[in-house]
Amino acid sequence: MPRLLLPAALLAWLAGGLAASGAYVPHYPPPYEIRVPAAGAAGDMFSLALGARRLFADLWFVRLMQYYGTQEDIGEEEEECPEHPGQHHHHHGLNGEGSYPEFLPRARHILELDPHFATAGLYGAGALAFNLDRTAEAQELLNFGIKQSPREWKYPLLLAAIGYSKAKEPMKVAEAIRPFLSDPDCPVMLKQLAAFLNKRAGNLAAAAAIYADIAATSKDTAYVANARRELAKLSSRVPAK
Amino acid sequence: MKSVRVLLAVAGNSFYESVRHRFFLLFAVFAFTAIYASVLAGVMAVDQEARVLADFGLALMELTALAYALFTASSVLLREAETKTIYLVFSRPVPRWAYLGGKLAGALLTAALMLVVMGGMHLALLALRGFGAPACYGWAVLGSFLKLSVITSAAFFVSLFSTSAVSTMVISGVLWTAGHFVSEARFLADKAHGVSAAALKGAMLLIPNLQLFNARDAAGAACALPPAAFAAAAAWTLGACLAALWLLSRKEF
Amino acid sequence: MSAHAVSFSAVEKTYKRPGFLGASYTTAVKDLSFEIPAGEITGLLGLNGAGKTTIMKLLTGLIFPSAGKVKVFGHAPTEGAAKARVGFLPELPYFPPHLKPAEALAYYGRLSGLAGPALAQAVRAAMDRTGLEPHAGKRVSEFSKGMLQRLGLAQALLHDPDLLVLDEPVSGLDPLAIHDIRGLLAGLNAEGRAVFLSSHSISEVEKLCSRVLIMVKGRLAAVVKRAQWEAAPGGLETIFVEAVR
Repeated sequence: MPRLLLPAALLAWLAGGLAASGAYVPHYPPPYEIRVPAAGAAGDMFSLALGARRLFADLWFVRLMQYYGTQEDIGEEEEECPEHPGQHHHHHGLNGEGSYPEFLPRARHILELDPHFATAGLYGAGALAFNLDRTAEAQELLNFGIKQSPREWKYPLLLAAIGYSKAKEPMKVAEAIRPFLSDPDCPVMLKQLAAFLNKRAGNLAAAAAIYADIAATSKDTAYVANARRELAKLSSRVPAK
Repeated sequence: MKSVRVLLAVAGNSFYESVRHRFFLLFAVFAFTAIYASVLAGVMAVDQEARVLADFGLALMELTALAYALFTASSVLLREAETKTIYLVFSRPVPRWAYLGGKLAGALLTAALMLVVMGGMHLALLALRGFGAPACYGWAVLGSFLKLSVITSAAFFVSLFSTSAVSTMVISGVLWTAGHFVSEARFLADKAHGVSAAALKGAMLLIPNLQLFNARDAAGAACALPPAAFAAAAAWTLGACLAALWLLSRKEF
Repeated sequence: MSAHAVSFSAVEKTYKRPGFLGASYTTAVKDLSFEIPAGEITGLLGLNGAGKTTIMKLLTGLIFPSAGKVKVFGHAPTEGAAKARVGFLPELPYFPPHLKPAEALAYYGRLSGLAGPALAQAVRAAMDRTGLEPHAGKRVSEFSKGMLQRLGLAQALLHDPDLLVLDEPVSGLDPLAIHDIRGLLAGLNAEGRAVFLSSHSISEVEKLCSRVLIMVKGRLAAVVKRAQWEAAPGGLETIFVEAVR
């Protein structure tokens, strides 16, 4: 009986391997898609080794927001900062101006780790297209997202919105991104964009509704404060029902 | 029937000994880390706090339970041999399969309880922050447990031929890591030719594909574990147990 | 039923120790043949490394002979039928310090196949027999060395064995504890149980045993009966010293 134990063990182990090979469906792109944009190769190794790609994608998302949230020094040939006389920098305000050269590689890296992190893809593409005015990079990011996650409907929709933006058709942009607004994972930046476009087109009620949603649901204090300011302005313009 | 009672006695003793010692310390560490992470996550993740909290908590739960399971599986047989407790066991009519089965059952029962309690703490933390249970939470925890059952049984096997608890933990840790690289190995095998392709494909059969159980990392894609995952987990666990039993049946104390 | 509790027939045990440049082999016992009669107290004497513990482990099925045969009540020591009739007390037994004696005994009783009321009764009887009843409320961590030995004996008695195998049962004990253990063992033998004990203490072996096996460097140097050492000038000690020199 003990003589049969080892062969039985090997058979069972191989049976497990065969069952797994038939059932396993990879959810993630292959490793050659991963390009490390900044110091972080070790972290990416851990993400693979620990089976924690989602978590490390989250960490990269936080890093992206921190990167985008830090001020850039832009050289003395640019205008002085009105809030800090004598200093030449951008504030990453609500409109997110700046150059942020590593934005695309960092945003793309999030999707390389977790292509199902649609919110990050939309946030990155939205910031590139509508804040940083780099629509080609935004389209590159969304096309990468579509390639890795072809069933994600939000990427082609935002691609269309960017297309309308390039064609200077703001109302069509607002229409294109309207389906996102009810999604709980919709980036607040897109909501703000939609509110802005509706306000510009004169749809004040729609704009107010979106600003109210931002104020109620977002945890980003800058966006919430802006939404409240806009609501206060709009309340004097939107007739009471 | 008598042997099954013996197995249950060993399992109960193993579970009780585990619960008594490192349990609450690990829970306390988990609770503290989760709370600290929630503070950080709330500040840094802004509108993605729910996702970050969920991912962080699930990963921490799995790693905490893994650390405990590996530590137990690596050291329990060694400790019982060193303290001669094992003399009092095997001088009795205790079948070696019942002893091994009981030890494994006790370790897995402890891991299951840890996952359930940590999961409860995690969900309570999410609720405190105003979030519901994340999608696929149950599958994620179940997938973690299946991974643990495979690695724990493998660690018991390794502990029977390795020279120290540390080397057992290292080897088991390497197996854990390798188990998450199977899809990458498959990719390389498809690109390679000849002997290296055959070697890689052989390795893929021999290394347990832990990504199969990684529902916590797949949430966002389809996360329900297929029936073949349960079959694979059972087969790998059984294989490791049979191999461990082969070693234990020849082992002298 | 065999008149012998234990029989060793040309038994050899060689330990293999893997090394970096190859394994090393140590022969602990060689060409060992003897019997232990049922119902008697047999002692095992020898210097350190003589093979005493190896013999104990061979007959409790903890290790396997490299050659020869070991029989315990006619069965191989690894068989359940043999183990069910043997109670083993290793040298310096370990019990989890947080347990109370009844809890520890209940676990080992379950391992011996006891359950329910029979288990509870066996635990009570073993504690009573070994004088642990007054200490039932204490944890093992509070036990003296003598009490630990009593607990070790109690676990060996749980399943009512026909043969007690005791490795250094009085090692490190004070004279009062030794006296108590000796009385206990004599009482168990009076009930018809065979006792096989190893010891460094020649005087203890003299007081308890009806025959003694003397081991020297893995070989059985002498088998001495009580009548022989009582007749010899200098007693068992002289016989032992002559055997080991």
